[in-house]
Amino acid sequence: MRQLTIALALFFTYTFLQGNMIAQESDYDVKVNFESACKAIKDSIDGAKTTAALDALKSGVDSLETEYAPREKFLDKALYPETFAGKITNLKNLFQLTYERVYLIQNQGITIEELEGRIILLSARIDTLSSERNRLFAELEENKSSVGKMRETIRKLTATLLAKDRLIFALVDSIFLPYDKNLNQMGDIQKEAIAAKLLRSNVAARVYDIAADNLKFLQTTTLQPKDYAGMIDQHVQFTAKWSGLREKINAVSYASEAEKTGKGKGKTGQQVAAAAAQTHVDSVLMDWDSKLASVFWGALNKEFTDKGVKVLPFTDGRSFSVSIRTYVDSAKAKGENTKTFVDEVWKGRIDKEWRDALSKESMLGKTEYAALDKYVSTLSEEKLDAKLFMYIGIVLVLVLLAWWIFGRKAKTAAPTK
Amino acid sequence: MRTPKIQRAFLLLLASCTFNSCASLSLQWVDYAWPVESVLKVGEHNTMEDGRYAVSIRVTNLALEEFQDSTALVGASLRLIRNEEGFYFVTGPKFKNVYVFTPGPSELNMKSKIPVAEAGLKSPALNQRRPYVEVVDGRAWKKLLTNDTIVDEEKK
Repeated sequence: MRQLTIALALFFTYTFLQGNMIAQESDYDVKVNFESACKAIKDSIDGAKTTAALDALKSGVDSLETEYAPREKFLDKALYPETFAGKITNLKNLFQLTYERVYLIQNQGITIEELEGRIILLSARIDTLSSERNRLFAELEENKSSVGKMRETIRKLTATLLAKDRLIFALVDSIFLPYDKNLNQMGDIQKEAIAAKLLRSNVAARVYDIAADNLKFLQTTTLQPKDYAGMIDQHVQFTAKWSGLREKINAVSYASEAEKTGKGKGKTGQQVAAAAAQTHVDSVLMDWDSKLASVFWGALNKEFTDKGVKVLPFTDGRSFSVSIRTYVDSAKAKGENTKTFVDEVWKGRIDKEWRDALSKESMLGKTEYAALDKYVSTLSEEKLDAKLFMYIGIVLVLVLLAWWIFGRKAKTAAPTK
Repeated sequence: MRTPKIQRAFLLLLASCTFNSCASLSLQWVDYAWPVESVLKVGEHNTMEDGRYAVSIRVTNLALEEFQDSTALVGASLRLIRNEEGFYFVTGPKFKNVYVFTPGPSELNMKSKIPVAEAGLKSPALNQRRPYVEVVDGRAWKKLLTNDTIVDEEKK
């Protein structure tokens, strides 16, 4: 009802201005009244909440165009650098975009309300988890003396960080979900609405917070080999999700700023802030990545050094592969005893505890791990072959000995008959 | 001795021709006309400024001329337009005349003062009506002006 009243008020205002246009003798008044009518219609379109109100405004735009078309040449000069056609086109575009948005909201009103509620709920849960995280970090410091307690705290902390990670991206999905998933087809007004929600929900800061938490977790915790697979998955998924989210944030923030400031202008304050926030997240993600790599490969290296197996130092999947192959080749060439390496380190620790983490594509990959495992197993095969030949040799010697003893006895016994 | 004198005379002639040709360079078909008048509010320092054409004018002498009071125009909205020949036309509410100025270095010199309303203008406006400038007073009447006189008027 309120919308209809606004539309009617606009209609009367416009009719009044139109009446003035017909009677007015001043070119200046023609220009000013045209601009006022454009602004009045634009404001009403911007404020429209129902398609019915917008329908009334559509005829307002058409009438404005018809009434002022005879003065088009004059208005093109008087409105310079804008033009009469440009102004009318802008109004029509705005109308179209607003109509789509209002139609969407009207038809998905309940869904949007639900999602808005979900955003608030998710934000609150993230905040609760942040408090829980702080408590667990403190607990971790206290429980460092007790391995059992520390493991329990680490388990809880990992679960909390993972839950927080999932929640933040669920929050982002909830923000984007009511609108078209294809951002290129999205109107500037819709993008502006999303940008506002992203800003309100403090998304970039929350993403930074999660990445920083994970980094802190790696810095303060000693992980078990089997913990790494989950950590690697979390990091890979988080990086991929952030990459997608960053593109979306850029798309909506640039569009909304272009809408406000006019297209083609330089970066605005909001864009600079968004870019700075993104740089912070990128930076902490890089730290997280390098910390995870150094902790992981360092712990793996320790498995070899603890058992006194001298392999070349490694810092990534490729150098690990080179190191193991070099060791195997060298052991074969020198005929070294590889029992400790094969049985205790490779079979007992690497294959049992580290295989899941090493099989991750960002580390070594399944194919390379399988190839490396096969390459290490050639050491056992060679040992097996040597033993086999030894056993066969012993059996052959025994058979030959038996034949020589019993064969000779049989031959010597015959002449006595 | 005669040869240098002839040479000198020739050089003088050449130089004179060169300078003359520089001084007489002119560009034609210049159109100064503004499509629409500017409505400019006179500030407290008796100055009005136009953003679109970047013109700034002190109107103290205009106030003295029209109202015999140097502060009479402070706060008033004057109408300013330039015709295709480059003359500035100025008028405003309560004015009895339209003033036509020709631009000079950092000044406007009055070319003519055209009486248009004995009782003073109530709601004036200036329109570009090539080759004239039209002055209207609300919906009451309109007059076509040249640089120095009224050529046509229409009452309603």
